[in-house]
Amino acid sequence: MDVTGKTALVTGAGTGIGQGVAIELARRGAKVAVHYNSSREGAENTRRQIEALGGEAHIVQGNIANQEEVQRFVSETADALGGLDILVNNAALQLNLSLLQHDETSFDKIMHTNLKGYWLCMQAALPHLKKRSAGRVINISSVHAKRPTDFDPVYSMSKGGIRMLTREAAIELGQHGITVNAIEPGAVDVGKQQVRPELPPAGGEPMERSDFRMHFPLGRAGKPQDVGHLVCFIASDASAFLSGAAIRLDGASMLL
Amino acid sequence: MNLLNQTVFITDADHPSGRALIARFAREGVPLALNSPSGGNAIREELAALTEAKVKLLQLDLRSRAAIVDALEAVEEELGPVGLLIHNQHRYEVTNLEHCSESLFVDVMDTNAKSAFLCTQIIGGRMAERGFGSILYVTSIHAEKPAAASFIYSASQGAIQMLAAEAALELGRRGVRVNTVEIAPVSGEEDHLTSPLSTLYDNYARKAPLQTVKARDLAELALFLSGDEAGALHGATIRLDGGFLLHYMDHKMKKST
Repeated sequence: MDVTGKTALVTGAGTGIGQGVAIELARRGAKVAVHYNSSREGAENTRRQIEALGGEAHIVQGNIANQEEVQRFVSETADALGGLDILVNNAALQLNLSLLQHDETSFDKIMHTNLKGYWLCMQAALPHLKKRSAGRVINISSVHAKRPTDFDPVYSMSKGGIRMLTREAAIELGQHGITVNAIEPGAVDVGKQQVRPELPPAGGEPMERSDFRMHFPLGRAGKPQDVGHLVCFIASDASAFLSGAAIRLDGASMLL
Repeated sequence: MNLLNQTVFITDADHPSGRALIARFAREGVPLALNSPSGGNAIREELAALTEAKVKLLQLDLRSRAAIVDALEAVEEELGPVGLLIHNQHRYEVTNLEHCSESLFVDVMDTNAKSAFLCTQIIGGRMAERGFGSILYVTSIHAEKPAAASFIYSASQGAIQMLAAEAALELGRRGVRVNTVEIAPVSGEEDHLTSPLSTLYDNYARKAPLQTVKARDLAELALFLSGDEAGALHGATIRLDGGFLLHYMDHKMKKST
């Protein structure tokens, strides 16, 4: 899973899964652009951790739902890192509103960030990825691209859209030697209530640690590093023929 | 069939699927609320045949919450409660992700997916209040299979597929049945999604081992799904493509006889 010398942009890298992905890429030798929208402190934290590993990180900021801002921070990334090999679309919103609680504003906010934002980042990154011999687009999606959440239908809609966006992009970008794949994580413990398995979202039943194995065959939820490891594999030369795939990364929890 | 004479709301009466649905449900004698983007011009023949049915013709922008709320009030006052919502919006524009404009992306996504969400929330929400009703999403095989011609369309269909799953959970607990039909293009429509990057629609008619889909096939399935005989079908996705997607690589497939 060597990515030495490659350059990567990870959106939403100031917290959670994005932070774990950025650190794992840097640990394996990639130069990383750490993107954030509002969590400057988180991005600085990610950069410090990367630099502590002896890696190179560059912070970029912007709203992924805004085309001009996306174009700007992708250009900044390519300028700062000397091109772009790997785009990791990760930044996403989840509001935990029911079907009847959502309104047009919340609908647009999620769809424009989670779905349109992924496309905008791909479109902006494409001129840079085309210049490389083995460009990679890795979309961090969710098991909720196939399974309903029962707590945020618009979030699921955005992930269902990403599933098809990934498949379409794999065909279109394949002609440039760029692979496009999705990772569909299950519950990942990022320290927030809504994704910590012992504290499920509103409406769900609290889960005791002793019940973990009933819901997680491996006895634990995922970690950001788990996602980071898979991203590094997909980003490496070892996965040159993997494209158009959606890899469920949930410790088999969706099989229960 | 047991809609108890409740109104059937069809979101795109002008689409070939919509025209077939009009004819089939009219034969059942149920009231019809027909949203026609052309204001009825595209369905003159169908409307002329509806001599006995109660019909309300609408021309709504289904991307607008207020428009749907107002229309639902008017429909229910004139025709009675809506018991079946059929969402069949299919806007596609041939484009690619490299050159597509942001405004086109938003427009296609809103026309297809946001309209589905708003109709579900407003019309499905009303059904949930009553504890009775049914929603049918007419999506596309491109909720699963890329077309390599209109990535936004495919993404919108993937989004609706998940909306249907969520609605089946949330509204199902309140008595509303929710199902999805993923339809292949009806004859002639396949030309809209041809692509220089894919041979998917080359020799379309020959690729379906049984037959290509006709709009009336959808209408019959929709009628079945709305009835008591399909009472246990909930959260289901039925692919209606005559076996088309079983075909994969031309050089590996036998020729039709």
